[in-house]
Amino acid sequence: MNCLEFRRRIGAEPRSRDPEILAHRDSCKDGCSAFWQRAQRFEDDLEAALAVPVPEGLADRILLAQATGERHRQVGRRRAWMAMAASVLIAFAGVGMLWRHADLNSLPALAVAHMPEEMDAMSLTQPMTDAQVEAGFVGRATRLKGPAPAGVTYVHDCTVGPYPAVHVVTRMDDEPVVALYMPGKMVDKTTEFHRDGWDGRQVALSGGTLVVMAQGASRKTRDTVERGWRAAIEGPVGQAVGRI
Amino acid sequence: MAPVHEGVNPKQRQYEAMVRALSADLYRYAFWLSRSETVAQDLVQETFLRAWKNLDSLRDAELAKPWLITILRREHARLYERKRLDTVELDDNVPEDAAFASPERSGDAAQVREAMLKLPDKYRDPLAMQVLGGMSCEEIAQSTGQQPGAVMTQLFRARQRLKDLLGGRAVAEGSRK
Repeated sequence: MNCLEFRRRIGAEPRSRDPEILAHRDSCKDGCSAFWQRAQRFEDDLEAALAVPVPEGLADRILLAQATGERHRQVGRRRAWMAMAASVLIAFAGVGMLWRHADLNSLPALAVAHMPEEMDAMSLTQPMTDAQVEAGFVGRATRLKGPAPAGVTYVHDCTVGPYPAVHVVTRMDDEPVVALYMPGKMVDKTTEFHRDGWDGRQVALSGGTLVVMAQGASRKTRDTVERGWRAAIEGPVGQAVGRI
Repeated sequence: MAPVHEGVNPKQRQYEAMVRALSADLYRYAFWLSRSETVAQDLVQETFLRAWKNLDSLRDAELAKPWLITILRREHARLYERKRLDTVELDDNVPEDAAFASPERSGDAAQVREAMLKLPDKYRDPLAMQVLGGMSCEEIAQSTGQQPGAVMTQLFRARQRLKDLLGGRAVAEGSRK
């Protein structure tokens, strides 16, 4: 490093600890050491001059602003979470109310709700004639296409919820099984239900819906009654297939 | 009053330590950058608020000061952009009175300060970064988006201009006994 380079570097970086610079300073006989000394003193003066007074409490004000902002953000985040939780709760409550409303208006719920006013019919044991049974269906503009199951002890045209229905009780193996046929009321699929002590099934038929249910009757009995009423309403299987 | 550290998370402690260690130097740099006490205070506040939000990106404590100075320069540029329409041009040679309202006002320090305020921005800014921020040419170059060689030239010329402005005064030659 020559003197020119040394002075150029010191002019830009007086505090440099570059070994090359320091070596030149220590070895140069042409006044570079004195130049370096003057540069250091100038730098000391410059540093002292640039150190303007700092406003009192600056650091504390910075920390206060940060802490206040952070607290504000925390409150905001908490409020956002609470709002979100409230929204979820309201959504759940809404869905729950909709589900409950739908459930209370489902066919099984309406069928079970219909039963208290018809409990006396469950204790009848006297079989009805085929003509009486057919007459009951005619009251709901439905003609039976097959023979009614044996052991029908009750036929009545009722209203299940908003739906006109034929209410029949079939006694099989001394177990009363209720069948409610709602012509024109269509459901998508056959579903089982257990509700308020009633075991039952809603069955989609071609012209309406059949609800078969009983209290304590075996599944086999209910299945037999369902098959019987399906055949009576839609006709025997062969006939129904033939129509298709 | 000693800071309370119990129950304070490490990030908050790091931040507090950084504010206490560097806010004075950062303020001084901001003052020489903006030549205004009030603007400098606002810049430092805003810089530290931004630093808090991005503190996780600071990996090395040694780099904290250059990092803060870079943030502060951006804030200053933003402030300038926002206020350029309603800013009244000030005489570059007139510092705020309050800035020097101290015993140091008299004597050589005041002369150097006055000379410093007369330096063009392109010289004053890197010089303040070096003297107050302790930044190397490479760090200044990185922060200002220039080549290190160009920064070195600016620093050299900044000192030359300062010495010219100070004329034959004693401080210009650093001739204290």
